[in-house]
Amino acid sequence: MMLRNVRRIGLPLLVIGAAACDATPPPVGMARGAELYETCQPCHGAEAAGNPDIAAPAIAGLPQWYIQDQLRGFQAGYRGDHAGDLPGLRMRPMALTLNREGDVESVAEYVASLDPHFPASTLHGNAGVGAASYAVCAACHGADGLGNPDLHAPPIVQLDDWYLLNQLRNFKSGARGARPGDTWGVTMRVNSLALTDQAMQDVIAYVQTLR
Amino acid sequence: MLERFLVQASTYASDIDGLINLVAVLAGFWFLLAEAMFFWLIWKFRARPGKKSQYLTGKEKHVSRWITIPHALVLVCDVFIIIGSVRVWYNVKQVLPEADSTIRIIGQQWAWTFQHPGADNELDTADDIFTVEDLHVEVEKTYHFKLESRDVLHDFSVPVFRLKQDALPGRSITGWFRPTMTGEFGIQCAEICGIGHGIMAGRIHIEDANTHAAWISSASVATTP
Repeated sequence: MMLRNVRRIGLPLLVIGAAACDATPPPVGMARGAELYETCQPCHGAEAAGNPDIAAPAIAGLPQWYIQDQLRGFQAGYRGDHAGDLPGLRMRPMALTLNREGDVESVAEYVASLDPHFPASTLHGNAGVGAASYAVCAACHGADGLGNPDLHAPPIVQLDDWYLLNQLRNFKSGARGARPGDTWGVTMRVNSLALTDQAMQDVIAYVQTLR
Repeated sequence: MLERFLVQASTYASDIDGLINLVAVLAGFWFLLAEAMFFWLIWKFRARPGKKSQYLTGKEKHVSRWITIPHALVLVCDVFIIIGSVRVWYNVKQVLPEADSTIRIIGQQWAWTFQHPGADNELDTADDIFTVEDLHVEVEKTYHFKLESRDVLHDFSVPVFRLKQDALPGRSITGWFRPTMTGEFGIQCAEICGIGHGIMAGRIHIEDANTHAAWISSASVATTP
């Protein structure tokens, strides 16, 4: 009787256990990306629409190259390795978990495939004043704010305004863009130095009008 | 015994290992004895043809002394453990030796930030050096640390120091350590603090006086937040 129970319960458990222990990851691509995204989901949300309460930006539908750039920046310490960048400090260890070949590409491909999310404005800058400052930004990010992959300039129209403000502050303080080797970050740091906090909010308000 | 598996790199590491050894030896002795008795009794009073089992109430003296005598002896062992524990607790947690230097340790999901005092050896001054994940200290110097958390419960753990201290949001907890050997060792978070808890690691660099002075000189002011 006991032996029969062992067979009835134990063997299926053994099979399930063996399947669970199978360490072979899905091949590079969307399936693996979806699996990896489960780690991102607690902060960025199931639809990657972000969560401002914990400074996790909306990332759905951002270009794959941009997400890859940022993940590699976190891994290399260009981002999230400064005592003043609190959300970045939270993101960096998560990026470091993408340690198999193809992980970064897969999760970036998955996030890029999600429906883009255009978060509502939360700041109260003066878009009219910001339009003048944006002339400098337009050289890389484009007059329409859609970015330029050749210059590693992301589509800022799609990013949360609070996130843009945090990043401009980070660039200005040196929490971002100050590391040797961070070629594209250095460009942004130089351009952020002249901006006051109000000027940052004004230019971001203008960017919001480009949607 | 434990130092065979993990070096002792602080003045109180051997005290804590000694306490763990004491508990392991005393608890291990009673565990082995109890298990040996248990299996011996099972074997001695195993089922035999024609012999009926007997119900024991446990009230007979010759039976109950199998409980009371070991119980009393275990309590005696407990006294030794309590004396050892209080002695170690007092030396590690109640005594605060005079500091050669003070650092601030800040835990957050999921990174450690360290505030070093800089060349003036004063914390909270303009030359403070901020680092993420890397703590630099000098060997044979007594350090006070001020442990803080920015978000949730963390626990600053340096296994080679045998040091573990909870970090609580809203509180600055003072502790101390004195490194006894140079080298680079791991720091970890020992309190579940969210999805990234398992990868919330850091390194402590224990340096000789010259190396530490050189590091202070070279540390970039760009790390200041």
